[in-house]
This record gives sequence, C-alpha cells and structure tokens, in this order.
Amino acid sequence: MDSICQSLAEIVGEGHVSNRPEELYIYSRDLGTAEPHLPRYVVAPRTTEEVQQVVKLANREKIPVVPLGGGLTLAGLVMPLRGGIVLDMKRMDSILEVNERARYALVEAGVSQGKLVAYLNTHHPTLVHSEPGAPGQATVAGNVAIHGQGDLAQPYGFNSDMVNGLEVVLPTGEVCRIGSCSLAQQWFTQHPLPDLGLFLGWCGTTGVITKVSLRLFPRKRIRDMGMFVLEDGDLVPDILYRISHTEMAGDLIAWSQELPVTVSGLHNISIFISGDSEEELELKRKLIRVGILGEYIHSGVGGLVGLSANVRPRLPRRPPVSTIQDIKKGGGFEYVGAIMPVDTYPECCRRGAEISARHNIAYTLLGRVIGRSHAMMFSWSYVFNRADEDSVREAREALYESDDLALELGGIPWKPGVYGQQAVMERMDPNTLSLMKKVKKLLDPNGIMNPGNWEVS
Amino acid sequence: MALTEYRYSDVIHRCFRCGYCKFPTSFIEVNNCPAYARYRLESYSTGGRLWLIRAWLNDELDWSEHLGEIVYSCAACKNCAEQCPLPFSDDIVDMIVAAKGAMVERGSVPSAVKEFLENVDRQGNPYGTARSKRGEWMEGTGIQEYDGQEFLYYVGCVGSYDTRAQQVARALGRVLQKGGVSFGVLGDRENCDGNDVGKLGEEGLFEALAEENIRQFKDLGVSKIVTLSPHAFNAIKNDYPRLDGTFEVRHYSQLLRDLVRAGKLDVSSGFKAKVTYHDPCFLGRWNAEYEAPRDVLRAVPGVELVEMERHRADALCCGGGGGNFYTDFLGGSEDSPSRIRVRDACATGASIVATACPNCLTMLEDAVKAEGLDDRLKVMDISEIVGEACQARGS
Amino acid sequence: MDIVVAVKQVPDTSEVVDVVEIDGSGKDIERGTLVSRINEWDKYALEEALQWKQKLGGTVTAVTVGPGEWDDTLRRALAMGADRAIRVDEDATVIDCSAAARTLAALIGRLPHDLVMFGAQSEDFGSAQLGPMVAEMLGIPHAALVVRLQVEEGEAHVERELEGGARDLYTLRLPALLTIQTGINRPRYVSFSSVRKAREKELSVMSLDELGLPPQALTPAVELARLELAPAGKGAVLISGAAEEAAARLATILREAGVI
Repeated sequence: MDSICQSLAEIVGEGHVSNRPEELYIYSRDLGTAEPHLPRYVVAPRTTEEVQQVVKLANREKIPVVPLGGGLTLAGLVMPLRGGIVLDMKRMDSILEVNERARYALVEAGVSQGKLVAYLNTHHPTLVHSEPGAPGQATVAGNVAIHGQGDLAQPYGFNSDMVNGLEVVLPTGEVCRIGSCSLAQQWFTQHPLPDLGLFLGWCGTTGVITKVSLRLFPRKRIRDMGMFVLEDGDLVPDILYRISHTEMAGDLIAWSQELPVTVSGLHNISIFISGDSEEELELKRKLIRVGILGEYIHSGVGGLVGLSANVRPRLPRRPPVSTIQDIKKGGGFEYVGAIMPVDTYPECCRRGAEISARHNIAYTLLGRVIGRSHAMMFSWSYVFNRADEDSVREAREALYESDDLALELGGIPWKPGVYGQQAVMERMDPNTLSLMKKVKKLLDPNGIMNPGNWEVS
Repeated sequence: MALTEYRYSDVIHRCFRCGYCKFPTSFIEVNNCPAYARYRLESYSTGGRLWLIRAWLNDELDWSEHLGEIVYSCAACKNCAEQCPLPFSDDIVDMIVAAKGAMVERGSVPSAVKEFLENVDRQGNPYGTARSKRGEWMEGTGIQEYDGQEFLYYVGCVGSYDTRAQQVARALGRVLQKGGVSFGVLGDRENCDGNDVGKLGEEGLFEALAEENIRQFKDLGVSKIVTLSPHAFNAIKNDYPRLDGTFEVRHYSQLLRDLVRAGKLDVSSGFKAKVTYHDPCFLGRWNAEYEAPRDVLRAVPGVELVEMERHRADALCCGGGGGNFYTDFLGGSEDSPSRIRVRDACATGASIVATACPNCLTMLEDAVKAEGLDDRLKVMDISEIVGEACQARGS
Repeated sequence: MDIVVAVKQVPDTSEVVDVVEIDGSGKDIERGTLVSRINEWDKYALEEALQWKQKLGGTVTAVTVGPGEWDDTLRRALAMGADRAIRVDEDATVIDCSAAARTLAALIGRLPHDLVMFGAQSEDFGSAQLGPMVAEMLGIPHAALVVRLQVEEGEAHVERELEGGARDLYTLRLPALLTIQTGINRPRYVSFSSVRKAREKELSVMSLDELGLPPQALTPAVELARLELAPAGKGAVLISGAAEEAAARLATILREAGVI
C-alpha cells in the first residue's frame, strides 16, 4: 500500500479501498464501447464525511476523482480518463426520508432505482418516482446528474426537473446543500432560491452529489398499456403531439426495431395510462384511443395491438435492453440518446436505419416523449460482441455517426461520451462555453473532478 | 488453462454487467449476493467475477491470491442464476466452478481452500479430524449402524464433527426413532459426500469420493437415503446418477412431512414460538424445495410461522456455501451475509430462526453471537423443533 | 540445473494427536488407524525445487528410502511437476538416520545433482540430521533451515532462520545441499486428477544391492529403546482480574516455572 492508499484506508476503512489489479481492472472498464482507463485507487465511502475527506485529499495530492453510481450510462462517463480515484457511491444507499404530504423521497447518492421502487411499493404504495427503465442497479443520483428521464417523462419532464434539493461535496471539500434544505427545512423545493443548478447534467465534473431529494408522484391503482402500430413513421409526431394534448397519458414511447422479425418495418407507440377506477381509465382510454387514434384506425393506417390491462405489480421490469443486447451473443450494448424535437422522429428513424445497416447491426430505435411534446429522448442502439474487436469497432463508429446525426437534425446528444461532448461544444455559443469554463474553474480550481469530460479548451 | 480450453469460452464474455445478480426479485436490497454483500466492490459481484475470470483466462490478468479469494468467495448460492435475465443464466454458477477448477488444476488456490481439500482427501472431512471419530456423535443415542434397514440416514461432515451440528444429527435421529422409521447410519465408515469439494472445483476428488460412496452404498444394498444436509441431498440427487449411482434420496424435511401427514409422528405436544424459516440454498434455489420444511413447521401446534422479507427463491444465503463455512472468505464484518440474515430474522419479530441445514445452523449461530442478539433470537434446526413437539428429547 | 529432493511419508497426526497410541512393542506407534502422507517440510522443499526448475530449466528428481506405501508421496511429487522419482525399497521402521543417510548418499551420488534439498526435519522423529549427514557423505557444502533461496551462476545464496527472527546469510558454491524450512514458499495444491495423470511418469524402485551397498550399510548407529506418550497436563490455572494484577500473577507463575 502506498501512502495515499494508506490515507484512503484511514478514511473509509481498509476493506473499502483497493489498488489491487483485480479492482483496477474492473473499474477501468465501461460496459459500452469506450476504451478502458485504469484508476489508481478504488474507494467505496459510506458517509458524506468520508467523501469530503477523500475529495480534500484528492485536491491536496492533485488526483482526479470520478464518482460512480450504477455504471450504466454506457458512454464511458464513469471511467477515470486521467486515472485517479474511482469513488463507488453504492455503499451510500440509505433511503433517508419519504415525505408523503410533500411527495418527495430523500435518498443517499448510492440508492439504486430498484431499491427505491421496492421501498415505495412496500411502504408508500400511493407514490412513485419517474423510473428510467434501466437495470435496477442504476442510481437515483447518477440519473439526475446526467439529466435522465423516466416513465413519467411525458407528463412531468426530465428527472433533473424533479429535484427538490441536493447535498453535494464540492471539489474543494465543502459540503453544500442546495434548495430549502440549506435553510434546514424540509427538502421540498429548490425555488425560489437563486439557481445553484451547478451539478445536474454536469456528469460529476463539478462535485460529488451525496444526497438527492426527488419528487414523487401519485400512483394510481391500475395501469394499462396500449400499443398502436403503424407503417408510416411520418405520422408519428402528429399522433404524439395530439396524445400529449389530452394530458391523459403517462409514459409515451414511439419505437421501431428490426428484430424480432414481427415488428420489422413498423412503428409502435406504447401508451401508458393509469387510474384509480375503471371510470377514470375508461375516460382516458376513450379520449386517447377513440378520440385520437380512432381516425387513424378508421383510415386504415394503423391499429391497436397488445393491450395489457393492469400491468402490475410495478417492479423494475427486465427492460428489453437486457435481452436485446445479447442478440449478437456478445454481451455488449451501447446507445446514443439525444434530446430531439419530436418532429424529427421520422428522419431520426430513416437515417438511423441507414447507419445500422451500414454497420451490420439490426436497427433499434426509440423515442420517449418528454413533457407535452416539448422534446423526446431518441435513442439509436447498437449491440456488439465484446469478444470480437471488429464488432466493437463497428458499434463505436455507428455511435459516433449517431452523435453527429443528432446534431445535424437539430438535437443534442444526451450524456455523450468525449466524442459527443466535443461535437456539442464545437457548436456551442462561445460566451456560453466561456461561462461553462468559468463555472468549472470556480468550483474545481485544481481540475480534479472527472477530468477529460466537458472540458472547454 | 487457456480461454479456448475453458468449457464456457463461448459464453463468458456475454455478461452485460447489468447487476440483476445482486438483487432479489423484489429489488428490496442490493446485497442479495453474499460476496457482494460482504465487500460491496464490483469485483465481488457475479458480473465482476465473470469478467475477471475471462481476463485471467485471456492472460490479461495474472493469478494472485486476491483473484483466488474473489473467485472462491462465491458461495454457490445461485441468486445470480435465479435473477440473471440472459439465456445462459442457469450455467452461471457452473461457470464459476469451472474457473475454480482451472485454478485447482494449476495448483493455485487460496490456502484455506487447499486445506479444505487436503483434509477431505486425507481424513474424509474438511476439518481434518480423524476418520475414526466420525461416528462419535451417535454415542448414547441407540442409533444403529446401517445393516439393511429401509433408510440410510446420511449425516455428512458438518453433522458428524461440528459440536453444535452433532446435536442436530442426534435430534434428527431421535425424531426418526420416534416416527418408527427403519434406518441406520454409517458411523465412522461414512465418507464426505463431495458436494462442496465439487463446488470448489476439485472435480477429480469429487468423482473419487462419489464413486467410493456409490460402491459402498451398493455393497450395503442401500436404495433409500435420507440426508441431514441439503448439500449431500444435492450431490446424491443431482450428481451421483451420472456416476452410475442412482438412489431414492430425500432431504429429511421431506421425510418428516410425509411422517406427519401419515400420522406416524405425533407432534401434538407442540412448540410455542414465533418462528421464521431460513431457506437453505441447496434445498431452495438448487432443488426448488421451499414447501416441505414449511409444511413441517406449520404442522406443529404453537408455531407461528412468519416470513422474512427475502424468502424462498429470494432468500439471502447465509454465506456458508462453496466451502465458506470453513474457508471463511465472507466473515469478519457486520456486512457478512450471515449477520445481515440474522438481522433480517430479528426484524420479523420471531424469537427463533429455523434452519434445515447444518451449515446454515452454524453460520447463523455465530452471526447471532457476533450481532449480540443472543437474548432475542435463537437458532434451531427444524429437527430440534419437531423433537420438542414429539417429545423426542435428549442432548 | 538438476535438483534432487529427498522426501518421506509420515503418519498424519496433525488433527488427530489425541488418537495416537503406543503399540505392543513399545517402540512404535499404533499405525493401523492412521493415514500417512508427505512430510510437511518436504512439501516446501519440493515446491522450492519446482519453482527453481521453472525459472532456470533443468530437472527435478524425487527420492526416498522406504516401503511400497511411500510411492504415494513420490506420485504426489511427480504430480507437482517432478520429472522422475526413485525409491530404494526398505522397511523404514528399522533403519535409523545414519542408515538412511548412507543409502541416500549412495543413490544421490549416482544422479546428476547441482542442488540437493531435504525438508529441515520430519514430523515423526524430528531429528533434523538426515540432510547434514548426507551432505557430509557426499562431500558437498550444506546449509540447514533455509528460509530464502536465490540461485544464480553456480551459487546458492541462502538465508537461514535463527532464533528471535535473526537471519544468517550464506553463499554456497554448487553442488550444495539445503534443508528447507517451512514458510519459504506456498506449496501448490496438487489436484486429484494431476496425481492420476502422474502415473504416466517414471517411478523406479531400487534395492540396496543395485546401489552397490552391502546389508551392513543399514546397521543402525542409534537404537530406539522405548517410545512413550507425554503425560497429560495437570489442569489449567485461570487468571482473572485487572490487567496489571493479571500480568503480575502471570509473571510470578512463569518465573516459578523457570520459563523466565
């Protein structure tokens, strides 16, 4: 153990630090196509105080710090691009408070999506959070740190718009509370205080989030899903726009896949609705299925299939991701997600299918509506065989092309890796870029937080 | 062993690291993998372990004592196999055992594993205690040596040598006597069943043990076997047949259930307590037997059966599998799975946590002491509870 | 580099000390119920030899003087990686150290040997004499209780273990004989299937005659008169109380017992 390792062991306990080859190997690798980067140390803290001390030490020694949640961004955002300390936050996994009346949950940064869903299921069955549909080990804090979205995106927006408060450890080691919690009040609101949103969407480059207060939403007793299928992708934006006008739907996702063969060449729109009674559901069904979809059905351009009544119990279901990704029998999966105008859906699909074809990968395309058609998260997904370098390369190239495509079509890559970050920053207003640089310099004078990411040159 | 020689070389790279292997079905806690629970580093989760195994076989990583410990910290509990969404999920534990096998062939295993295996080889039990003492547990019980009775009561290493487990071996013997069962034991002629030897990757030694046992059972005319331990139950039921040893084997909970239902065991004296049952991995996830032990407990008047949050296929392993009751890679911390498990048990309000496996029994008892819960929670084997209820007492 | 390792097989009394009994003759233990296995120290000697073979190339030959059962230990040595094994067939219970030494010296003398290794002592009689005796008979230098070894260019650099953690450092010119102390390395695990595979390797058995030794070579210099079990201790003294008191009491007891 070198002296820094020794100091880290004194902070978190010997069993929670490692600089051994095995841990360094595992924590150097992302699940996607990004090349590995070795950390020098892996540290798993349990308390905010421990995080503080680690960050202070890192500042003194000028060692990078990279916070890690579930590691499921797949874009290489949690890899130590410049070595240093990977901070595995998952030991900080206590659910501190669920405030039913103000409808929020206060959680430590390492609380997994799965644990939160299960906890609410058991103890607060009338409340849910906007669950992203990633495998359950994804963390709540990681999700807001990258502006993630969940299954309540269409009614309520990005998950980072659902944050009432944060506790963060600044790169210089101070602990800050953002929001009403800074007045030692309930963690129920960020507004009307001056905006200190310097940590959401910054992907861990401005500090370590240690607590999140996340808004919860009403959970109705019954949840239905209907799927509308059509061949003409050009009709999709209109349908989405009109459904979001009704304000009756929950999650609203348009998707198109080459596999399985039964869905190839088609566009599907999954529409979730929920209600406390049959009457409520009937009204919603009528407004959407009869009121909006009816005319498309009658004109023969599409039909309703796969109606699932009562899709309960609401546990993190195994997302299609986990099984689709094994189609190449290779264990690898990565996607470019981009925040796009909903109207770009047809072009995103057309061009996406082209990219996939060129790289020999079955196309897997999806657009999740955010807000009342304000935007959508559109994803181009690529599976690859981890054991086959050519397969990895093909996927990587397809991903770069997708980053470029998103920008070309007028959208912005969401949680991009370094390639996408550069592409975004090249197109950004220079004053805005300069402001980003100022913020980063102000908070992180020694440049220790997840360096190499969102670096304004 | 090069990656190409590894039996699962076409599959080992397919782990996505999605992390379902860490959770139970309900996702209520992230520590349902006993090794991940103990260490909370990605290298100790099943996914991490599989990636490390591949890296080692692919010459990206050298063997080290630490790598050996990571691989051998797997308790073979099958939570990962149960939860993994991928098509090869059933093979996951076998993949890890195959990697252990590669380490065994190379001669590079952690010292505690070496001791375990060498002790079994020499003295027929992992403790290395003399063979000649294997039958001492039965002194004073009146239990007969096997000589053509209906059942062979196979005790196993833990039941024969561990002082606490010996009490259970006796308790079960007395219950069988009370139930009028015709049975005999092998005493110091009994040899290790080999289950844990196999799960430690020593396939050669496992086969030698199994073949010897099969020969011995056949020579003695054994056709029906009842085991104390789910580990022996698993080996005899699932692994002995391919070595030409097919016997009608039951775990004792299954026999007791039959006896109670047939009215042959009178449990009417009852046993008044709030009891929670801990599913052993080798009876539960490995052999899908979740009900027989519960049926037995429910049949005892006075027993109020309550379930832990994580039970049946979601049960948290006590951490004693894969030889860990001896090698102890998962001990020494409040995050040890056995300690988490007894905290789970306490949370039900039960005063007794019932086990059906001598490994679980010893692991949970140590955990109760380590947690300082001695005055709130007692660990009892089902055979001991039934023993009380049918007044088959002794020590 | 050619290395010869002398090994023996001993009764396993590690976990079974309380079942050891003296037999009818009063000069041996009751062996019937005991399992026998390789002498603990010899494991380390074999492991050391095999590691040096891996580093520098060459051969490792395992040798022993003993009965047929001891082929188990030789097979284990072959399974670990020794190239061949030789046993001189004799009843080990009737020969003493000097007789064994003469036999082994005669055998080893005929084999190419840059390095000869013995375990520092045996678990049964524990005399620690055999290695040094053989070295003298072969006329080569030796070092006993080796805990570290470095071999380069015809020389062995060794560290010997003394009391209190002190170490002796020596350089010996090869050929040399070393007796190996436990802890010098981590003996590898020998898998069941590797022992099975080792049956294909060469294991030869020789007689005293073939070594050119007359039967008188086995005349013991030392005769074992009698073997006894140590008397069981007379019970324990439990020392309680505060740390200083307990320490004082303990010091008194140890002083009175002549320990300090």
